[in-house]
Amino acid sequence: MKISQAITRVNPPTPIRWWQKYRNRNLVIAFLFVFPALLNFLLFRYLPIIWAARTSFYRYSFFRGFEGFVGLDHYIKIFTNDPEFINSLKVTLIFALTKVPIQVVLALALAVFAVRNIPGMGAMRAIIFIPVVTSFIVVSIVWGMMLNKDVGLVNAILQTVGLPRMEFLSSKANALPSIIMISIWKDVGYSVIVLVAAMKGISEVYYEVAMVLGANAWQQFINVTIPMLRRALMFVVVMGTLSAFQVFIPIYQLTRGGPRDTTNVIVYYIYKKAFQFGEMDYAAALSIVLLAIMLIFSLVQMRIMRSEEFE
Amino acid sequence: MTRYSIPQDVGLSAEVIKQAQQAQRKKAIVNIVNLFFTFIIYIIITIVFVTPFIYLLGNSFRVNSQSIWGNLFPVSWKSFIPYDGVTLKNYIQALGLDVVSQGFGMNMSRALWISLASATCVIISSLVFNTCAAYFFARLKFPRKNILLVYVLATMMIPQQVVIVPLFLVVRSLGIINTFWALVVPWYSSPFIVFLLTQYFATLPYELDEAAIMDGANLLQILYMVVVPNSLPGLLTVSLLEFQFIWNEFYWPLVAVTNRELQPVQVHIAAQFTERDPQWGRVFSAMVLASAPIIIIFMMAQKYFFQSTAISGIKG
Repeated sequence: MKISQAITRVNPPTPIRWWQKYRNRNLVIAFLFVFPALLNFLLFRYLPIIWAARTSFYRYSFFRGFEGFVGLDHYIKIFTNDPEFINSLKVTLIFALTKVPIQVVLALALAVFAVRNIPGMGAMRAIIFIPVVTSFIVVSIVWGMMLNKDVGLVNAILQTVGLPRMEFLSSKANALPSIIMISIWKDVGYSVIVLVAAMKGISEVYYEVAMVLGANAWQQFINVTIPMLRRALMFVVVMGTLSAFQVFIPIYQLTRGGPRDTTNVIVYYIYKKAFQFGEMDYAAALSIVLLAIMLIFSLVQMRIMRSEEFE
Repeated sequence: MTRYSIPQDVGLSAEVIKQAQQAQRKKAIVNIVNLFFTFIIYIIITIVFVTPFIYLLGNSFRVNSQSIWGNLFPVSWKSFIPYDGVTLKNYIQALGLDVVSQGFGMNMSRALWISLASATCVIISSLVFNTCAAYFFARLKFPRKNILLVYVLATMMIPQQVVIVPLFLVVRSLGIINTFWALVVPWYSSPFIVFLLTQYFATLPYELDEAAIMDGANLLQILYMVVVPNSLPGLLTVSLLEFQFIWNEFYWPLVAVTNRELQPVQVHIAAQFTERDPQWGRVFSAMVLASAPIIIIFMMAQKYFFQSTAISGIKG
C-alpha cells in the first residue's frame, strides 16, 4: 500500500462546499458588484414594458383594478376607431420632419463657424449651449411670455420695426411652428457641440490635399467636411428624431394640445388619456404602440449605420 | 500667418513689386472683411441666445408688472434694465417668505430643497452603483459578460418619455408613488452612465491593478484605492450629468408626486408660475431661481459638459 493511499484512508477528504471553491467565490463577489445596477434595469426599464403589455390586454383602472380580459380590443380601437390618435401621430410626424432638418442644417452652419479657434469663440460655444442645460419648463414659460400677443417682447420688436403684431401660440396656423421654433432654439446647441467635436477630429491633411488640388472653401466643405462628418451627422439626426418623437414639455406648458388639437402630439395624448381621463389600460396600449414604432425606427437606423461602416 | 515684406532692391521689375503689393493689400482687405462678418455673427448669436435670459433677469427686479409692460414698447435698453427702481419683493414672494404669497401656495424654497435633496441622493447612489457596475464590466472576469453588457446597453434604446405610464404602473405597485423616494429610486442607476464609466475605466492601465493585487488588496480595495482616485474627472462629469438630469426632469415628477409638499422645482413652477399669471415679476424671479443653479454650474464646469456631449456623439 502506498503512503498516499494510506493517508487518504485515515483522513477521507472532507467534501469541499461550493462556496469554498476559490473560483466560485470570486464569481459571486464579482456579481455582487453589478447586481444593483442589473436589478434597477430589470425593475425600472424592462418590467414596465412587460407590465404595460399585460395591462393593455385587460380592462383596468386605478379604482377598480383589473376587470377582465379584453384581448386585442384596445389595439383594434387604436388603429380603426381613434381619430385623435391618428391626428396626434400626424402632428408628431410634422413636428419631427420639420424640426430635425432645420435643426441639423442650422447646427452645421453654426458648427462650421464655431469650430475655428479665434478669440471669443469659447464664449460663443458656451452661449449656444446655455439653452441646452436650462430646463425646458423655464424655456417654455419664458418664450410663452415673450410670444404674448399684447405684452410680449417678440411682438414689441415686430411693432418697433414696423410689422403688424401676430398671434403665436393661440392661433391655429402659428401654434405648431412656434413650438418648433422654441424647441430648435433649445436643442440646437447640443447638435453644434457634437458636430464641432467631430470636426476637430478631421485631420488637417485632407484639407491640405484639397487645397493643393485647388478646391475653394465651399468645395472643401462639400467634399471633405461632410463625408468625414457622416457618422456624427447620422447621430445628430437619429437622436434629434428620437427626441422629437417624445416632445412633451412645451406642449404641456404652452398649448395643452390646442388650439383645436393642432399641437396634440402623441406623448401628450398618452399623458391626457392616462392621468386626466384615467384610462390607464388604453394609455398602456398606446405606449406599447409608440414604443414599437420607435424601436423599429431605431433598428432601421442602426442597420443603416452598420451597413455604412462596411462600405 | 506669416507676412513677408517685399525686398525693394533685388532687381525685380517695378511691375512685379506692384502686383505683389496689390495681392498683399487684397489679403488685408479680405482679413478685415472676415473679421467684420465674424463680429456680426457674434452679435447675432448673442442676441438670439442671450436676450431671453437678460430679459428674464432684468425684469425679475422690477417693482410691478406695469413697469415691465410700460417699458416694453418701443424696444430699447429700457425694456431690459430695471432703471426705474429695483426690488427684491418678487424673489421674496416666489420663495414663499411672506404670508400672502404662501396663501397662494408659492413656495420655491421648499421646491428647491426637494430638488437639491433628490439630486444629491441620485448622485450619491449613482456614484456607488454605477461605479461598481462599470468596474465589473471594465475589469472583472465573469462568464458570458458580453450578454450582461448587451442587457445593459439595450435599455438605452428605450425612449424615456414613452415609458412613463408603464413606469408609473410599476412604481405604484411598489407602493412608493407620492413619496420622496419615487423621485429617486427609479434613477439610482443609469445604463448610459455605466457605459460612460466602463469606457473611462478601460483606459486606465491594468498594471496599477496588478500592483495593488501584489500588495494583497481585494476587489473593493482596488476599486476605491486605485480606480476611483485615477478617474475623478470622469466621476465629476457623471455627477454633473446626473445633476442636470434630475434638476431639469419634469414629466416623471409631474406624475409620480401629486402631493404639493413634495413637488420639485420644475413641477412647482409649472403649476404655480405660469405665463398666464398677471404678476410677471414674480414669474420671472421664479424662473431665475429655477434655472440659475444649473446655468452657474455649467459656466463653472463647461469643459466637462462639452466632453460628455462629445463622447456621446462619437460613440454613436
